[in-house]
Amino acid sequence: MNPSKPSLRLAVSSLTAAATAAAAIVLASVSGPALAHHAASMFDRERTVELTGTVREFQWTNPHIWIQIQVANENGDMEEWSVEGGVPNRLFRAGWRPNSFEPGDEVTIRGFPMRDGGRAALFIGARLPDGSTLGLYE
Amino acid sequence: MIRKSIGAATLCAVAYLTVPGAGAQLPTLSEEERQANIELGLAHDTAFALYETLQERAGGGDRLEWDALPDWSGVWSRPFEHIALFDPLQNRAEPPTAQLTPDYQAMLDRKIEMVSQGFEYDPLGRCDPPGMPRWFTEPFLREHVITPDQTWLLNEVANEVRRVYTDGRSHLPEVDRFPTWDGDSIGFWDGGRLVIHTNQLSPGQYTRGQPDYSDQVEIVEIWEKVDEDSIVVDVWAYDPPALAAPWYVRQHYEKLANDDGSLRIHFWHCFENQNNDVFETDEGGTDFVDFDFTDLDDD
Repeated sequence: MNPSKPSLRLAVSSLTAAATAAAAIVLASVSGPALAHHAASMFDRERTVELTGTVREFQWTNPHIWIQIQVANENGDMEEWSVEGGVPNRLFRAGWRPNSFEPGDEVTIRGFPMRDGGRAALFIGARLPDGSTLGLYE
Repeated sequence: MIRKSIGAATLCAVAYLTVPGAGAQLPTLSEEERQANIELGLAHDTAFALYETLQERAGGGDRLEWDALPDWSGVWSRPFEHIALFDPLQNRAEPPTAQLTPDYQAMLDRKIEMVSQGFEYDPLGRCDPPGMPRWFTEPFLREHVITPDQTWLLNEVANEVRRVYTDGRSHLPEVDRFPTWDGDSIGFWDGGRLVIHTNQLSPGQYTRGQPDYSDQVEIVEIWEKVDEDSIVVDVWAYDPPALAAPWYVRQHYEKLANDDGSLRIHFWHCFENQNNDVFETDEGGTDFVDFDFTDLDDD
């Protein structure tokens, strides 16, 4: 299978003040970062990033799973991103499996990017090669 | 395609975090019962005084036998909707329900201000265990092992095990006590209820965004399995430096569906994956040390 060129797309929010406040309340109370074993203040929850590329590795490890995905940046250069997810047992109960992502899979992952611009994101959702989705992916 | 992140952010709150539970109805706590338990705490100057009252009411407590142990088997978890709360009844738009001393109120105010600015560091990120009483709030898998002489309360997070001694022993003499993560817990059985007193604790926070507690905190708990899928725990926290009054809350734990036995608790090691290595920044926030899978992600 010859996939389309891996791509990196940054989606930037355009939030009203009320929407921002509402999101903050919800996120402060029940968001994914609250379930992270570490404080997740390094992620910018006002923005999302969409990564379309090739899975290099899927780490099914406590306390967080990680998806390593290779994408082409705006210059066409390959770069690797690290996407953090939740605790394996919790994800297992939501339908994830240790082989939900396989090396070589062409996927699109959405996440909250790092505030400092680092090549990492906090998982929101993904579309897998067979068209199925994990997490929140419309 | 640009997607408004408010939608994504809001829904993310329940997206990959929404998992099927046992579907049990959570037991309710009537306001009458809640007030009675608050008054019970206020009627005692110390946690151990409350524990002694409960023990006296139980006639000293019951001795369990191997052929008649309570069945608390299965895999359990705290309801998702209680995340980041020590008191499940707290309205998230309002402050915690604890009555704090001025010093600890100031500490909480400072913490909330820092978080609002994006600066937060939690020692849990380095695999420090939650410790007691934060142990109550961790939203992951739990198991309970009951023997006549001890009950072990197991939490998936940081492989934490609480040992409750029900063989009649007392706490360690004061001269031998020192702060520990989960404290020294003694208890007795009162019918199907397990009553526990815990001291010898290290300072910590009830959970993120909640008050801190000092090394003088002591906890009284009454555990009861109220139906096949529900365990409730009445908790009283006494902490003179931090609490102006005992803090009463009721915790809930629900049994998870696990008919196929696929749910298993595994060892928890923060640095099994180098990506999980975090550190506290100079500003009091959290950041990753590095992502070091390949040379492609090196700067």
